[in-house]
Amino acid sequence: MELVARSPEAVRDAVLARASAKRPILIAAPRYLSPDYFRPLREWEGVLSHPSASDYRSAAVGVTEAFAAVARTGSVCVDIGADIAGYVSLLPRLHIVVVDIDKLVFRPSDLFRLEQFSRPTFQRSFVFISGPSATADMGPLVRGVHGPHELHILVLS
Amino acid sequence: MPKHVTSPREIAAKESRAILRRAIRLALDTESAAVRRNTRSFNLNRYGAIAVLPDYEVLKDEARRIKEHALANRKALVQRLSESVTRNGGHFFFARDAQEAREYIQEVCKRHRVRSLVKGKSMTSEEIHLNAALEHDGIRVVETDLAEFILQAADEQPSHIIAPAIHYSRERITALFRRKFQIDLPLDTGEDLTRFARERLREDFLAADAGITGANLISADCGSLLLVESEANIRLTCIVPPLHLAISGLEKIVPSRREFAPFIELLAASATGQPLTSYTSVMQPPLAVPVVDFRGAGPAAREFHLVILDNGREALAQDAQLKEALYCIRCSACLNSCANFQVLGGHGFGGATYSGGIGATWEAATTGQLKLARFSDLCTGCSRCVPQCPVRIDIPGLNVELRSRLNESIPLSPMARAMCLLLGASPAEHASAQQMFFAHYDRVARWGTLFAPLSNFFLKVPGSRWFLEKSFGIDRRRHLAPFPTKTWVDLCDDGVTQKLDAPQGPEVLVLADVFTNYGAPERGRDALRCLHAVGVRVRLTNPLPDGRAALSQGMIETARSQAEALSRYLAAENARGLPLLVVEPSVLAMILREYLKLLPAEPFAKLQNSTMDAVQFLAKHFAELGSEPREVFDIRKFAPGSRVFYHAHCQQRAVSDPSNTVEFLRRLGFEVTCSQVECCGMAGSFGYKKDFYDVSQAVSEELVEQWKAAESAMGPHTLIASGVSCIEQLQGATGRAVLHPVELLAKLL
Repeated sequence: MELVARSPEAVRDAVLARASAKRPILIAAPRYLSPDYFRPLREWEGVLSHPSASDYRSAAVGVTEAFAAVARTGSVCVDIGADIAGYVSLLPRLHIVVVDIDKLVFRPSDLFRLEQFSRPTFQRSFVFISGPSATADMGPLVRGVHGPHELHILVLS
Repeated sequence: MPKHVTSPREIAAKESRAILRRAIRLALDTESAAVRRNTRSFNLNRYGAIAVLPDYEVLKDEARRIKEHALANRKALVQRLSESVTRNGGHFFFARDAQEAREYIQEVCKRHRVRSLVKGKSMTSEEIHLNAALEHDGIRVVETDLAEFILQAADEQPSHIIAPAIHYSRERITALFRRKFQIDLPLDTGEDLTRFARERLREDFLAADAGITGANLISADCGSLLLVESEANIRLTCIVPPLHLAISGLEKIVPSRREFAPFIELLAASATGQPLTSYTSVMQPPLAVPVVDFRGAGPAAREFHLVILDNGREALAQDAQLKEALYCIRCSACLNSCANFQVLGGHGFGGATYSGGIGATWEAATTGQLKLARFSDLCTGCSRCVPQCPVRIDIPGLNVELRSRLNESIPLSPMARAMCLLLGASPAEHASAQQMFFAHYDRVARWGTLFAPLSNFFLKVPGSRWFLEKSFGIDRRRHLAPFPTKTWVDLCDDGVTQKLDAPQGPEVLVLADVFTNYGAPERGRDALRCLHAVGVRVRLTNPLPDGRAALSQGMIETARSQAEALSRYLAAENARGLPLLVVEPSVLAMILREYLKLLPAEPFAKLQNSTMDAVQFLAKHFAELGSEPREVFDIRKFAPGSRVFYHAHCQQRAVSDPSNTVEFLRRLGFEVTCSQVECCGMAGSFGYKKDFYDVSQAVSEELVEQWKAAESAMGPHTLIASGVSCIEQLQGATGRAVLHPVELLAKLL
């Protein structure tokens, strides 16, 4: 996790630093944050916002926003109900997620109390992501199973 | 490996004691080490997680309330859910039984020409044997949860509700994969194995025509599924293939997504002991997300089908004694905190689909066959699971009820009838001769004591233990304490005890429970000596059975009539509501917990208010007086030294806090090390039974190891335990004398 200044350039730099040489980077367009935050990033080489099936197969990094974060459980909430965030947050080995510190709640149940939550068109489908995919089924704990092996959270503040 | 080794599948359906015995053998021989390590690690993590969960008890109350309300309104919720799913553009199907569910799913798959299909872990799909049906149709079914992937490769049934391959060690997985997949890749670490499975399964995900998942909960108002996982295979199963089918029991439906909230935190904490697992999805399918054409099959539209399954659940919901089982959220806290489950896992302690104490009701309900609940015999009633259940299910209570029904389903044997005649007990309630023997311990012990020299002589006659093993299944390797010539009540009737009585001071009644009265009269007298020493006036009750022994054998009506008789006796003897002190923890728990179900509300409340543990009374007494217990109990009089190793009785921990006893001993100057096990393994009559002797011994190993570790780190410890059977178990396992806390205290006088 890293605190990042509220500027599109800062987001771009933080994402590129985290991705290091890994390419391609897939980006899911934000629906809650201003689209400006991802704009400089989209112009970068090796960054794709409209991936094809083969781009998904080879993707190394996925960048999405989260519409909320949960302090107690260290989770970010990603809307997977529309557009491509469901794939982008799932298929690449590294998932970088950007969330606004103002969207921080204390515990998961707080999210269900938010009034906006009951609006039927809002967040039809979302996922609390609390770490990289992991398993203990093969003996010891192993990080990196069917989903990302690493989760990096960039907090706008 | 020896020849004719049983395969787990052969012993999955435990319809008889013979199969149960084979299953126990299999589990102890080949699966126990991995199960012990994994369940204990889950259990420890869980204790850690709930310790930091804010308002854990409040969340549990809320979860229980939601489940009760939802089940009571199940018909309306099913209707509402069907409307929501249809409104969302999905398809809804209510399957009355396994066959209907299978046929519907097979039909949908045929219509879509499904050739390959990925699955997330779903116990409900295991329950209806879905894979075999789909494979019969020529569909390639790929289990993608890594544990299910292992089981599919091994062709075994699940051994745990959330970690179905918990019985596999890393080494056994390596051997299995080498054999099954014929590969030369490195497979010697968890990472290697995971990489192999991941790469293989990633291609299966991308090529799949359909995905099948279960659901942890479903909201009726908008048709949302709650899906909890760590591996991300469920997320992939839901989003990658164009066709998504979800199957779930009708008990999973709650009114709205708001009701998901308490379960999200409770599930993760109770299951793996995490604040949340990696992925908790709230999903309203069909997703409004384009299908990516990984298959090269051209554009495809999303389609979603929800199958809600009855398959015995409606009948269970109408069963007043057993319906609680439907509140289960499949977190596995009960399994991981169960001492017997910790050494056996679900292949020993479980059925074809569901495992552990909670699994017996489920297995019987979903198969419609009571006899498949036979593995409920492995629930000792120790009650350690009760405070761990996030929806407060009385799992031991379910198993006592199942045992009672199983008893009634079998005709009374001539031997059991003879036992009743001999003991003067009523043959109205069916049970085996063994159960009669243990249930009527009070009568057995009364006769044994009455003819004490003779009955003890009998126990020494060659062949007598063989006879007891053949007739009553009492394992001949167990030490049987000789019957005393004088019971506790006799000992205190000799004029000596009365002389000790203090003229003033508070007055109490001490329950002469049958176990202490016949099994450890000296201990009883020690309890009275301690009470006298602190200036308490004591009266000892008559030695009446409390019903614990009968209840543990599933003889509910015998237990109820004993509870009623004891409660009537106490109402007359204790009109003033004096504190009723109990020395034997299983009896204390019987009165404080089990009587809730056996007695009407008012007499129960009276007993509940007055009954307490004898040592806790002492601690409270000193606290109220504001005096120092060291003035009465002088640790310098105890030659073996100040280090003690204390094992608190399992049932006692369900009703009272053993830390009071520990705290009291520490105030006297003892250095107390506590056991960190859930149960000693004896659990009343359980460890005496031939069928369960090995399980009982296996359970005790961890306790003995902890004691040894304490001794090797700090030097000799005196062993302290509070229950008659714990003391017997520890003495047998360590060869050392074990003291009850009151016996230790009496040595300080």
